[in-house]
Amino acid sequence: MLLFIARRLLWMIPSLAVISVLAFVLIRLPPGDFVTNYIATLAASNEVVDQNTAAELRARFGLDQPMIVQYWKWISGIVFRGDFGFSFEWQQPVGDLIWERMGLTLLLTFSTLLVTWAIALPIGVYSAVKKYSFGDYFATFFSFLGLAIPSFLLALVLMYVAAMYFGQDVGGLFSEQYLTAPWSLAKVWDLMSHIWIAVVILAVSGTASLIRIMRANMLDELGKPYVTTARAKGLSEFRLLVKYPVRLALNPFISTIAWLLPNLVSGSIIVAIVLNLPTAGPLLLQSLMSQDMYLAGAFVLLICALTLVGTLISDVLLALADPRIRLE
Amino acid sequence: MTDTSPADRLDTAATSRRSVLAGFAGAAAMGVPGVALAQEAKEAPALAKLVADGKLPKLADRLPAKPLVVTPIETSGTYGGQLRRGLRGSADHNGILRMVGNQGLVRWNMEFTQVLPNVVESWEVNEASTVFTFKLRAGMRWSDGHPFTADDIVFSIEDCCKNSELYRSVPSPLVIANKPGTATKIDDTTVRIAFEAPYALFLEIMATPLGQHPTLFPKHYASRFHPKYNAGVADLVKAANVADWGALFRAKLGDIEIPARWGNPEKPTLDPWVVEEPYTGGATRVLMRRNPYFWQVDPQGRQLPYIDAINFGISQDVESLMLDAISGKLDIQDRHIDTLQNKPTLSQNMAKGGYRLIELVNSGSQQCQIYFNMTHKDPKMRAMFANKEFRQALSLGIDRAEIIELVYLGQSEPYQAGPRPGHPWHHAALAKQFTDHDTAKANAMLDRIGYGKKNAQGQRLHPDGSKIFFAIDVIPTLYPDLVDTLELVKRHWAEIGIDCKVNTIERALYYTRGDNNEHDVAVWPGSGGLDPMLDPRDFFAQHPQGSRYAIPWTQWYVSNGKEGEAPPDGQKQRMKLFDEARGTADLAKRGAAMKQLFDLTAEAFETVGVCLAVNAFGIANTKLRNVPKKMPASWSWPNPGPAMPQQFFFG
Repeated sequence: MLLFIARRLLWMIPSLAVISVLAFVLIRLPPGDFVTNYIATLAASNEVVDQNTAAELRARFGLDQPMIVQYWKWISGIVFRGDFGFSFEWQQPVGDLIWERMGLTLLLTFSTLLVTWAIALPIGVYSAVKKYSFGDYFATFFSFLGLAIPSFLLALVLMYVAAMYFGQDVGGLFSEQYLTAPWSLAKVWDLMSHIWIAVVILAVSGTASLIRIMRANMLDELGKPYVTTARAKGLSEFRLLVKYPVRLALNPFISTIAWLLPNLVSGSIIVAIVLNLPTAGPLLLQSLMSQDMYLAGAFVLLICALTLVGTLISDVLLALADPRIRLE
Repeated sequence: MTDTSPADRLDTAATSRRSVLAGFAGAAAMGVPGVALAQEAKEAPALAKLVADGKLPKLADRLPAKPLVVTPIETSGTYGGQLRRGLRGSADHNGILRMVGNQGLVRWNMEFTQVLPNVVESWEVNEASTVFTFKLRAGMRWSDGHPFTADDIVFSIEDCCKNSELYRSVPSPLVIANKPGTATKIDDTTVRIAFEAPYALFLEIMATPLGQHPTLFPKHYASRFHPKYNAGVADLVKAANVADWGALFRAKLGDIEIPARWGNPEKPTLDPWVVEEPYTGGATRVLMRRNPYFWQVDPQGRQLPYIDAINFGISQDVESLMLDAISGKLDIQDRHIDTLQNKPTLSQNMAKGGYRLIELVNSGSQQCQIYFNMTHKDPKMRAMFANKEFRQALSLGIDRAEIIELVYLGQSEPYQAGPRPGHPWHHAALAKQFTDHDTAKANAMLDRIGYGKKNAQGQRLHPDGSKIFFAIDVIPTLYPDLVDTLELVKRHWAEIGIDCKVNTIERALYYTRGDNNEHDVAVWPGSGGLDPMLDPRDFFAQHPQGSRYAIPWTQWYVSNGKEGEAPPDGQKQRMKLFDEARGTADLAKRGAAMKQLFDLTAEAFETVGVCLAVNAFGIANTKLRNVPKKMPASWSWPNPGPAMPQQFFFG
């Protein structure tokens, strides 16, 4: 096992190197650069950049140099000094910008995940066991609804209803008076009273698909002879379900951990933008849209690194949970 | 407490020692502010309290000897309140500038026609318009209480703007005939800015946002980050982990229009409100609180601003700004919500949201200026677009009445280019020529100039037999109405046998195609409706990113003939006329030069317009007073800044 982990970790180095090149090239690929975008954004409000300044910006940010030189400047900073560079737009270190938002992003992603699992697993098992019952149809109906409604639309509708009929503000994670207040019990409570809306909206579509997956997996297992055998041996229905078919049906969930880590950064971008959540997603989108290269590059690199680590973790967990799986 | 005098309370509460003490405490707490209230408070209660506590100098010591007296638009206000406004998540620093940071040497009047004193008390200009002598306000202070003197202006221009490590080229508002001006201190309150060539527009340009450099950098604070004044700057640079001192300087002091201008709460400014919670990458709001040293007063001598603080909420999504607007969570807003499609929704919810609409007079002249690329790389296309009669025929082919009715809900009139009706320089021919819808005449003209041959579908052909076809570049995310307009134009042109495509592209691509001279035709709102001197891009090839009918000619103009392509004589004449007008202080003479220029522009007929630029609108809380019902909307008149938000108040 240790050998396996070591080997996988070693393989990550060349993968990351290739990814860093790809990420850099991809960010540079769209026409224009940060300065063009900057000028265009200001032009949208009929604002003009001084012509001397525009030419100078490009030189200041090194955008006039060949791509290979720019790449080297970027990657050498990361490798030798752990320095991800400066964001063009904010004139702030990229590392600070990302970390500032990581805490709330983690909180939101994990609570969404927990809520999703807490709802989806029991309902999925239930609707498989009671196939074609009223409860199954009910759960199926709602999970299809959840799948069909894009979560950002749900967020928008919810915000509109709250604003128009209840005069309430659903956006953001804090009330006005707690925005910049230091952490306290009251602030945590305020966070909790705001975050559930985001969690519910985010959980809706995830729950729906998980219910479907769980139901399908369970149905595959329930018909197998070992279930019949266990039942014939007189095991209680609950113990039987939890001990055998559910455990097997869980394998796909463990695999999803691989996507979970990168989702910490890039998941739920649209919902976060609509709900105005101070998480990493909107910052990532902004940086890509304005071609703020170092910020976007750091994000893409982070997402890729998390994907690699996530895959490794889920492989190890799968091996632990299911003895049939070999790592060799 | 104000109803009963402390003496009365002493009588009635004489029986209880505790109440007596409470009475005394009440009287003591009222202290200075209470007395000031009786004589009409001259400063905000929060500041009066700081003065009473000895934490802030007295008002008289904070104001200059002759503060700028601002006449309120309706009436004198009362102190207090927090004003709410919305920003977008990215690149929206100018939303703060427009509200707060409009404190240049001089400012615009409400009508956008005249320059008035602002930071400076008065000025003198020599006969030749080369030397400008500004008189500053004695005793004026930065927001940290440090005196603002001639040294600050000299430092900003000589040590910052003209420092090649900080600005590779000097910002263009300070440059004329390729030579930057020179700032000299005469005494503490007098500063002279001299140019080598006449620069009659200097004052007007100093009133625009891009002319704010002279008042941007406080010497006492900024010199810490400047190697000329601080030998230890290298250590600061290292500690901050930035590339050079320029980067550190910009991070600390900002520049006119970069987010960092609002990112450092330590930086002293001359603005009515100063940063308390900065505009940074992770911010969810920006909070600005009143500047205790603000140097403007109302006619009663009461210090401005009336409103205590401004709260800029940051929305990642522009749609959620609309929700905030209709639910009454914004006190004054036009940015990001002023599209034509939003107007019905905003009008419907006025009562519910507790706001009113304010009219914003478009400073542009043309809603949809069509730029045919007269310097196209393909000789066949170049010949076609450069043919004046071709452009005239296409202009006659547009049914403007239909477009105005369908797209602009009747809120406009057929128009070509030039200063808006009512402007003293309005030019009838430039504005209205070839705006009739006359397909017969258009067809006849096209037949005559060699595009008479048609294919089986009735589409016209080039003289070499290939079909006429071009793409019109437009940015749908920026100007959705232009896409609708162009779809109608395309149909109108199909009727005279011209085939084209509405090329909806992303904005960076639009700019790249323009910069590389790769576009066939592009559209953009036409400028110069109220500010023809400041934005003449449609009158001759002036702007390398704006005069899209001949980008290479603009490059020739900007580089003094070193780059680009030499333009025809008519253009060269206009370039000379404009430079002449720019050097003339006498408004009548300047107008005469511009009249000649407009005559030539009308004659050349380079751009094809559709209709007069449609007025925009904004919303204002019904309780917010002193907001003009109507104001210009422009970048040179950065609304609502010149309407002086410091005299807005909640009534």
